[in-house]
Amino acid sequence: MIFGGIILGIFVLIWVNIDLGSVEASERQPIEYSHRAHIQIGIQCLFCHTEATRSSIAGIPSVEKCMGCHAYIATEGEAVQALVGYWERGEPIPWNRVNNQPDFVYFSHQPHMGVGMNCETCHGNVAEMEDAKAVTRMDMGWCLDCHEHQEPHKIARLVDCLICHK
Amino acid sequence: MSIDLSRREFLKLATLSVASTAGACVPINSRTKDILEPQVLPPEDILPGDTTYYASTCRQCPAGCGIIVGTINGRAKKIEGNPAYPINRGKLCARGQAGLQDLYHPDRLRNAVKQSGGRGSRKFEALYWEDAIALLIQKLAGIDPVRVAFLGGKMPDHLYFLSSRWLEAMGAPPLVRFNLQSTLDGRITASKAAQSLFGSRQLPIYDIANAEVIFSFGANFLDTWQSPVAYSQQFGEFRQGQAGGRGFFVQFEPRLSSTAASADEWVPLRPGTDGLVALALGRIIVEKGLGHVGAFSQEEADLFRDVHVGELAEASQVQVEKLEQLALILASADRSLVIPGGYPAGQKNGFASYKAIQGLNLILRRIGQRGGVYLSQPSPIDTLPGAPAMDSFMEIMALIERMNSGEVEVLLIHGANPVYELPSAAGFVEAVNRVPFVVSFSSIVDETAVQSDLILPDHSYLETWGYQVASPGGDRPSVSSQQPVVQPLYDTRSTGNLILVLAEEQGGEVAEVLPWANELLFLEDASGGLFLSSLSPYNVKTAGDFWSAWRQYGGWWTRRELYQEPDVTGFFDQPLKAIEPSFEGESEEYPYHLYPYSGVALGDGSCAHLPWLQELPDPMTTACWQTWVEINPQTAHSIGVKDNEIVKVISPYGEITAVVVVYPGIRPDVIAVPFGQGHTDSGHYAANRGANPMQLLAAVSDEDSGELAWGATRVRVEPTGETHELARLESLEGEGRETIR
Repeated sequence: MIFGGIILGIFVLIWVNIDLGSVEASERQPIEYSHRAHIQIGIQCLFCHTEATRSSIAGIPSVEKCMGCHAYIATEGEAVQALVGYWERGEPIPWNRVNNQPDFVYFSHQPHMGVGMNCETCHGNVAEMEDAKAVTRMDMGWCLDCHEHQEPHKIARLVDCLICHK
Repeated sequence: MSIDLSRREFLKLATLSVASTAGACVPINSRTKDILEPQVLPPEDILPGDTTYYASTCRQCPAGCGIIVGTINGRAKKIEGNPAYPINRGKLCARGQAGLQDLYHPDRLRNAVKQSGGRGSRKFEALYWEDAIALLIQKLAGIDPVRVAFLGGKMPDHLYFLSSRWLEAMGAPPLVRFNLQSTLDGRITASKAAQSLFGSRQLPIYDIANAEVIFSFGANFLDTWQSPVAYSQQFGEFRQGQAGGRGFFVQFEPRLSSTAASADEWVPLRPGTDGLVALALGRIIVEKGLGHVGAFSQEEADLFRDVHVGELAEASQVQVEKLEQLALILASADRSLVIPGGYPAGQKNGFASYKAIQGLNLILRRIGQRGGVYLSQPSPIDTLPGAPAMDSFMEIMALIERMNSGEVEVLLIHGANPVYELPSAAGFVEAVNRVPFVVSFSSIVDETAVQSDLILPDHSYLETWGYQVASPGGDRPSVSSQQPVVQPLYDTRSTGNLILVLAEEQGGEVAEVLPWANELLFLEDASGGLFLSSLSPYNVKTAGDFWSAWRQYGGWWTRRELYQEPDVTGFFDQPLKAIEPSFEGESEEYPYHLYPYSGVALGDGSCAHLPWLQELPDPMTTACWQTWVEINPQTAHSIGVKDNEIVKVISPYGEITAVVVVYPGIRPDVIAVPFGQGHTDSGHYAANRGANPMQLLAAVSDEDSGELAWGATRVRVEPTGETHELARLESLEGEGRETIR
């Protein structure tokens, strides 16, 4: 019985590890940055992730962009002091990546934004997160969940392998 | 089969296996950890995640093609040809594509170093640049400038200009330059022959695209010869009938190169007899009055006065009937073209062969004609001069002599690897030991850098500025620009800038003639003169706009094609003479001619540090990653060797070991060995792999051109009884492979 329980427990652990491993990839970031605090005062996603509408990646704001506000706003906070440290040393901030597509996948934000999709469709309600977390596994099945259900005549159906695996 | 397992044991084992599987899963997830580093100060013209393209110049071989480098997030990702550049017109070869690996090479030096354990110790101590420069200035200040020597090689034209001016202002002897690929291309002979025949040292260019019949003497222009990308493209036009029909192509070469394999007819010529065959063809044409009536004058016909076809047929082992048939093909076409290549130039009669071959172009009325021979255009502006052809082997031997006699106290080496690229018999290593202070500017520790005291690594060519006047050029005057496509990855310094810093420190006249604070200001200043040219392709209104266009398009060239026609001045002093080839090594003891050749992947060996090129199979033998020796099946049978057997190749000057490739596409009296391997250093992909055929070659040259006679050494082959399976895609004999019947 005991062994059976242990085995079951380990299976559960493995499942959690495999399934959520990529989802919960978020680790402590080098700066205690809060998405929630920034979004709740009304800053739009695209204010910082400016490239999402015109590039394959959404982009992480440059240190200069952060300093554009934080040279004047909330300058006393511990996290902002850490930011100022990076700025003064001329160093980039080594953020831990939260969402990722492997190199063998061609993915671009631009067309997804172009058809009017919202950020939260894929990235979840970041407004409620301190640290950004991956809310989906972003694997091929997940992509096809949307694309396969597009109308057959629509260009967005994109079920040819070579669309993403060029 | 049954296993006696109790329930308890089964559960133990199952638990253990599951636990180990769970443990193994942890690293899988940890591998997904990834760091994103946004820029501190983002450049305004770069869109993160999107490709930004920069036009620049390839420096992987002396051809100088125009390139477009795609960069994403400040990292170079892909190199392609520049479609606007008139030499390569958007195409690029494998070596050009592999330039990215030169940039990202793990063995690149990351800062200035001195060899603390003495030369050859390979013990390097990092130096601050200030200290390294101070050390060099101190060494230069303490000696008479005539005791300084600068050995250059594959250096960009702006560096040639700056370093030449620097040496002249110091009162030092002029720059001496050597590059193995240029030697294998026969550039020195071509340039000296052009000087003698056409009164200009500009390299001839051959209008292959518009020719009807091409006879190529050892010019493997689809492999590596001179400007292979440009000529390959022209060859496509030649085959697709630009001149009115599918062109006819005959290749004379002892080995079936991939150029010869693309020919309609391959004539495996006896080594060194290219000039003899050309003379015989010329004699037949003038004697029989072949071709168009009045195509050649009596004066031109007299050039072949002393030629005896029967003797030359015997010497070249091409039958008279065959020569007559070839002469008829050549003379009957409206636009036939004869091209002298690298292998005839690498013989002791190379200069005479070139004259004979150009003599054929003369009587066929192909000089300065469409589908014929033109000269490369010089730089369109004096402030951006193109570097002349490399110095000959004789001039390198003169430098070695100076070093041996203790006349050189400081030796500077940029873009050349003489320890690897010169025949061991030339004695460069012994000579360099007599030079008290040697400085290398190599970005990778190559064989020559190991023999230096101080290494001041230059940037990769994708990190720095420059310009290049392509030679051989294209169909119009042009100069290509080189610009950094990424920030320098390491604490390296551009040698051009370094020379300007040295000049400023030295002060006086030296500083006066090199007044620019850095090479960028020099280039902006020197290229600015083109802004007002009426031939300019850009519609720009200010000097600033010109500078932008210069970088955006990758250089400057005229809107329309503009060929330079050679003046036929130097042919008629005396009739053309047949000079029999001669070889080093007695034919009884050394029965085979050695044909060392430059392959499409590694070329002259300067690209051997790039693994993409190591992995690229040779187009004819499909071999890679090693040195092999190509032997005719008949010869292999007589020696008693087969594929994959290791043999010793022995010349009077040295020996190497290599793996046999039995190759039907080679004369029985010739063996071929590719250049490229046999490095002792040059990064871990190149080091201690294969053999360098330079160890076999005699240090002899053609007396008329001074060019190294790299094809004039005889060898013998001895089996060792050992085997080594060569990395090959397939066996040429088809052994072990099913054949479709």
